[in-house]
Amino acid sequence: MKLPLRSFRGQLLLVFVPVLALAQLATWYLVGRFNEREARQQIDTSLQQAAQTFRRVVADRNAHLRTGARSAARDHQIRQLVAGDDPATLASALQSLRGTTDSSVVAILEPGGKVVASAGRGAPESALPTRLIALAEADESERPSAAGYGYFDGVLHSVVLVPVQAGSEVIAWLLIGFRIDREFAADLKLLTGSDLLFLGADGAALAGTLAVSAHAPLASVLQATRGHSALRQITIDGGASLAVFRPLLTGREPVATLALVYSLDEKLAPARLAGRYLAVVAIGALVAAAALALAFARGLARPVERLAAHTERISAGDYAARVPVDRADELGRLAGAMNAMSAGLAERDRVRDLLDKNVSPEVAARLMRGGAALGGEEREVTILFADLRGFTTLSERLDPPALLALLNRYLDRMSGAIEAHGGVIDKFIGDAIMALFGAPVAQGDAPARAIAAARAMESALAALNTELAAEDRPPLAIGVGINTARVVAGNIGSNRRLNYSVIGDGVNVAARLQALTRAAEHRTNIILSAATRAAAGRAAADARPLGTVTVKGRTEPVEIFAIDAPLSFHDHRTSPHTEPPFLSP
Amino acid sequence: MPSVLSTLMLLSVLLPAVGNAREVRVEVRDPKGEPVADAVASLTPLDATPVVQPPAEPVSVVQEGEEFRPHVTAVVVGTRVTFPNRDAVQHHVFSVSRSKKFDLPLYRGEPREPVLFDQPGVVSLGCNIHDWMSAYIVVLATPHFARSGTDGAAVIGGIPPGRHRLEVWHPRARSALTREVIVAEVGAATQVIALTLGVDRRVRRAPESAGGGYK
Ligand SMILES: [Cu+2]
Repeated sequence: MKLPLRSFRGQLLLVFVPVLALAQLATWYLVGRFNEREARQQIDTSLQQAAQTFRRVVADRNAHLRTGARSAARDHQIRQLVAGDDPATLASALQSLRGTTDSSVVAILEPGGKVVASAGRGAPESALPTRLIALAEADESERPSAAGYGYFDGVLHSVVLVPVQAGSEVIAWLLIGFRIDREFAADLKLLTGSDLLFLGADGAALAGTLAVSAHAPLASVLQATRGHSALRQITIDGGASLAVFRPLLTGREPVATLALVYSLDEKLAPARLAGRYLAVVAIGALVAAAALALAFARGLARPVERLAAHTERISAGDYAARVPVDRADELGRLAGAMNAMSAGLAERDRVRDLLDKNVSPEVAARLMRGGAALGGEEREVTILFADLRGFTTLSERLDPPALLALLNRYLDRMSGAIEAHGGVIDKFIGDAIMALFGAPVAQGDAPARAIAAARAMESALAALNTELAAEDRPPLAIGVGINTARVVAGNIGSNRRLNYSVIGDGVNVAARLQALTRAAEHRTNIILSAATRAAAGRAAADARPLGTVTVKGRTEPVEIFAIDAPLSFHDHRTSPHTEPPFLSP
Repeated sequence: MPSVLSTLMLLSVLLPAVGNAREVRVEVRDPKGEPVADAVASLTPLDATPVVQPPAEPVSVVQEGEEFRPHVTAVVVGTRVTFPNRDAVQHHVFSVSRSKKFDLPLYRGEPREPVLFDQPGVVSLGCNIHDWMSAYIVVLATPHFARSGTDGAAVIGGIPPGRHRLEVWHPRARSALTREVIVAEVGAATQVIALTLGVDRRVRRAPESAGGGYK
């Protein structure tokens, strides 16, 4: 799959996937940390409880042994054997006692601590008797005794010491104890769930439930912490475990250390398994999210690409094309807006087309730019009407192609003269021309321009006649009527064909004035209305008054003026002309 | 319950100039200065062999209210001691002490025979039935001795002049305290003895049983 980074898809992935991945990673990390902290706390608690359980178990067994020892110590036979001189019998008695109390060691000590007789495993380490006796003698309770830990033949024992009394005289001490060995450790593990190891004062492993490989790490941590310590992390066979240490004291003398161990890895195993599942789920979610993001981006990019392609078509000028609006979201709205824009552009194009055909390119451009209202409006406009005289005669003498060529040549010259003075060709009616000044774009000097245009038309016609003479053709003659009036301007026509034009009485007047040029008594080709003359100012200074005439369709007489051309033009006047057919009242 | 002997000694303190009766007053105190009762002080002449005359009649250590009375008894070597039982229950008086071992199995009233204490030394008495019953018999090789009363004073009279070994013993003292003293021809001398006492090892009576105390 190609993923260009500049594409929408690429960007979406680039933003979305890392954020999601980061969130997943953070969750995974936090959950992991929480689990580990929780596991540590649980292990700490269970190790503390295990330490308490150990103390409790030892205290219980000690109490049991103490009861048995006290009972034996007040036995008269034992007392007599203790006072007597028969250690062999005493040892046998102690052996019996060891059996009934289920103890590992039993011994009778002199008040000074010397071992008189013993049963069970070997002799106590030398320091133990005096330590215990000192403890018992310091015990001021009603029934003095001492308890502690000691080694018999190198094996750790929990021991209890009680006095053997005759009256109030302590005649000997009875020592009794049980082994702290592998079996004891196994029992304790069953009770506590924790692994344990007993270490000697020198750090040597004594007994426990842990493999030999655990001994050295525990010993070294013990060396560093010296006895009682808070939770410690150790590494056994590459796995992490937590351990607490508890010193085993006789009085204040540390005799051995109990290390309680719980595997952190074991405790964390379920959490780690859950973590792996979580990771799988997270990766799955990430992949799904990426796929969804891609699908979403594709769903978004497709219409966008379609819209882009459509825009290109529009910019190429194809306004007819339409984008299907097949969704209700923002993209659908965009497609709708683009279609509306295409319609707008097409409309504008059509208007422009019409303008181009009907008005001069400059005016059209200005209209498009300026947004001149093309709707109906009333405005003052100067209307120029020009007509070719003697056209009927001409048409009889020329074949149609030649006639049309001559007509177009004439119209071209006249159009040029009109447009040169800012006039707009409103329409050609056969050989007649209707032109507007001051519409659709307002011109302050429209009447003066119209007069100037009329003069230019005369000059242009003179030039054309010179050419025609050279071609051995008869000259042409024109009549021009100019009126200035308020008219209604706007687009006139059907939906398919529109003409910008003006309508109103003033238009008819202009046509009438043009017709009046045929009257020979006026001796002019250009007739102005009084309104045009007045508005033209200096441009019509040389206008010759022709008096008043009654214009067809008008009740009031109209004052008219002539613009005289150079004399030569009058010679070309021909016979009276028919009125333009479209101006019939 | 001062003995007759100590009463006489006390009298001799009050009358120092009578005859050639010389006396030594031993005041026994604990380290705090409190008087210590039931201590036995004895003087043994160093330059002469003391003549010991045991009494003709046996000395009594009775059992009453499941206790021995008195708690400490000092006698000279050769004294016979009888252990009359005045309780309704039987007692089994015994000693496993080195200087005198004996055993008087369960009996009521007067035992058949008194026990002869023919070796000097401390004899610890017990009862095999009642663990809390405890008494001492201090057997001495000298006639010059006294037991301290509640005021901590033990007055020894009728002492021949000369060098003596003063020995003070108490049940709770770890060992007997000895000191050499010289008794003058005339007059009284006072010896103040400080004894460090160990824990009272007498077994406490079970709370169910009536009577008692340790007196
Ligand atoms: Cu008794």
